[in-house]
Amino acid sequence: MTATDSDRESELHAAGLDGQNRTALGRLLGTGGIGYAEEGSDGVMRATVRIPEDQLIFEPSILVFPHGGEIELTLINDDKNTHCAVLPNNGDPKIIWMVNHSKGTARLNLGGPGTYYYGSTTGNDEGRGLTAALVFGGEVPDSAKLDRPPQPRP
Amino acid sequence: MTDYVDAGEAVPHKTLSAVKGNAPQVSNVDYERIKNATSEPHNWITYYGSYDAQRHSRLDQINKDTVKRLTPAWVFQAGSTGLHSGSSTYSFEASPLVVDGVMFISGPEGKVWAIDGKTGEELWRYKHASPYDVSLCCGNVNRGVAVGHGKVYMYTLNAHLIALDAETGDLVWDVTNGDVRAGESGSVAPLIVKDKVIVGSAGGEFGVRGHLDAFDAQTGERQWRCYTVPKPGEPGSETWPDDGEAWQRGGANCWITPSYDPELELLFQGTGNPAPDFDGGVREGDNLYTDSTVAIDVNTGEIRWHYQFTPHDLWDYDSTMENVLFDAPDGRKLLAHADKNGYFFVLDRTNGELVRVFPFVDRITWGDISPDGKVTPKVYPDEEGVPVHFWPGPAGGKEWTHMAYSPNTGLIYVPVQEVGATATRRRREFKESIPYWGAGVAVDLDDHYGFVAAIDPLTGEEKWRWRNEYPMCASTLTTAGGLVFQGTPTGEFVALDEQTGEKLWSFQCGSGHHSSPMSYSVDGRQYIAVPTGWGGWIEGFLPGLLGAAAGDALFVFALPEN
Repeated sequence: MTATDSDRESELHAAGLDGQNRTALGRLLGTGGIGYAEEGSDGVMRATVRIPEDQLIFEPSILVFPHGGEIELTLINDDKNTHCAVLPNNGDPKIIWMVNHSKGTARLNLGGPGTYYYGSTTGNDEGRGLTAALVFGGEVPDSAKLDRPPQPRP
Repeated sequence: MTDYVDAGEAVPHKTLSAVKGNAPQVSNVDYERIKNATSEPHNWITYYGSYDAQRHSRLDQINKDTVKRLTPAWVFQAGSTGLHSGSSTYSFEASPLVVDGVMFISGPEGKVWAIDGKTGEELWRYKHASPYDVSLCCGNVNRGVAVGHGKVYMYTLNAHLIALDAETGDLVWDVTNGDVRAGESGSVAPLIVKDKVIVGSAGGEFGVRGHLDAFDAQTGERQWRCYTVPKPGEPGSETWPDDGEAWQRGGANCWITPSYDPELELLFQGTGNPAPDFDGGVREGDNLYTDSTVAIDVNTGEIRWHYQFTPHDLWDYDSTMENVLFDAPDGRKLLAHADKNGYFFVLDRTNGELVRVFPFVDRITWGDISPDGKVTPKVYPDEEGVPVHFWPGPAGGKEWTHMAYSPNTGLIYVPVQEVGATATRRRREFKESIPYWGAGVAVDLDDHYGFVAAIDPLTGEEKWRWRNEYPMCASTLTTAGGLVFQGTPTGEFVALDEQTGEKLWSFQCGSGHHSSPMSYSVDGRQYIAVPTGWGGWIEGFLPGLLGAAAGDALFVFALPEN
């Protein structure tokens, strides 16, 4: 898993949008890092997400997966407050309660392509910044595609 | 620093609720039972209540005399957690099904529940996760499930057909049937016919090619696909430009459940608008099979006949809405269809021949249709950048919400919308997944009203109307108790006298209606169930109430037990 830097990060910092109680009250959603899941030989895509101290953010806040399927997240709360995560999952969302300085896992099944959001559903953690994205790339199976020539995309 | 506290593994959200996790085993629903659905009026085992789409209950405990004592028996709240596709456009649009006292119903956000029909207790739940960024022309909605072969079937927002175990709600199979990158989605209630599950596609506003599909109910294997826009060389392709790409993006989606005639073995499927909706210059011709009823052989998926209601549509006049099957006194097999274009059609369902056509709304300016079916467009977006106002607006004189037939009166009760709109043609190039309308559209914020019309399909006569300040945006239900039930956009659920239209009862549900009520009974007690929740494509059918309160509650009414 890797994170990327960009001019955008500098702009967000200069605007005071990348932290708690700076320009706004919370941190602007989606302004954390971008990470990439790694697909294991068992086909499960794995990644680690942390909640850093006093940042109220899942880091990376955008996780990219190559395609839909089975995923396994390691969730670590490095904050000195209690949070949780309610994560989308086919069948039912999954919830994990994360006291200060705790570590757990979430095994999920999600279809792709597309983006899903998850958050810490306690108080207004979600609004303060603890809302993050799981982004799945890829295409639907050929059997699900329309019988027509390839079309232009934006 | 000490070692991390072990937070364990994330668990299903529902394990932290009172949901039981299983439903009692119900008797198996199969093709024979659905064919004879009206013989078991305590149940409602298929989307329209029966294959003929009459939406009529033979229960009569709640009737003209007793309805004044009708009262809520229980309420079920759908609820919401976190961010989901269509977060602000959710609407509880489904029609519940009931088998042996167990209710099966879908809601917004990919949810399906089994609920105790007597108490409202949540027996099991399943939630299919759909991407936040999936293309949804008309909101975060689902119109219902099919139950049969021990399973519950739902078509999801991201175009997966899923089968669940009817007792546990556990996933049995999941088939991806649409291309979300192309703008396809799913909202239709599946239909079980024989060993098949029938579903149609949504996404016409994104320039897809519509289709209806049949799947093996046990395995999820697709048995056939019927495209509702022909390829070059196929019958109907002559109604599209010879050398263009228009057919590839032609629309004609099938996002409402078909009706079915077991003797003819024909599905009667309404099809959606052509794409782009308002710019006909890029798709010269009649554009078959858009805005049509197509009769499809359930065994092969082949189109046997079609009738097009709005050739070369320039007003977004989908014809997806139901085709109600009934027989004339002389035995002629007929089909009734109230179209978005404001005209009511009666066809011979054996061959698609027009029997009768007449207007069922007050204001029609887009054009006219003669008694012999000749269509003459009059007002339409033609010149680039020039606003054109027309009635009915793009949601139609009647939207997808369903009318109901009463075998007692022989009348069809139609929920009518009187709303106009202005479209200004703005040509744009096609790009996959981007809305492909070809116009800017603003639906009227005022000068609107609605009514329930009691129409004799054999004569075209309107016997009575129950007028309402706002358009009617929900399905009607008829019962053997001589009642017509109708929900209003402002939350009232009313019971009308089927003979006179007199309002006999009402209840304020707290949010507008955009769903399909139904009736069932358990242990001899009749219930009327109606999902409520104002949402979906409000900007299309009644933007004057865009600011009205949302909701997602299922109300179930009954007479007092004592």
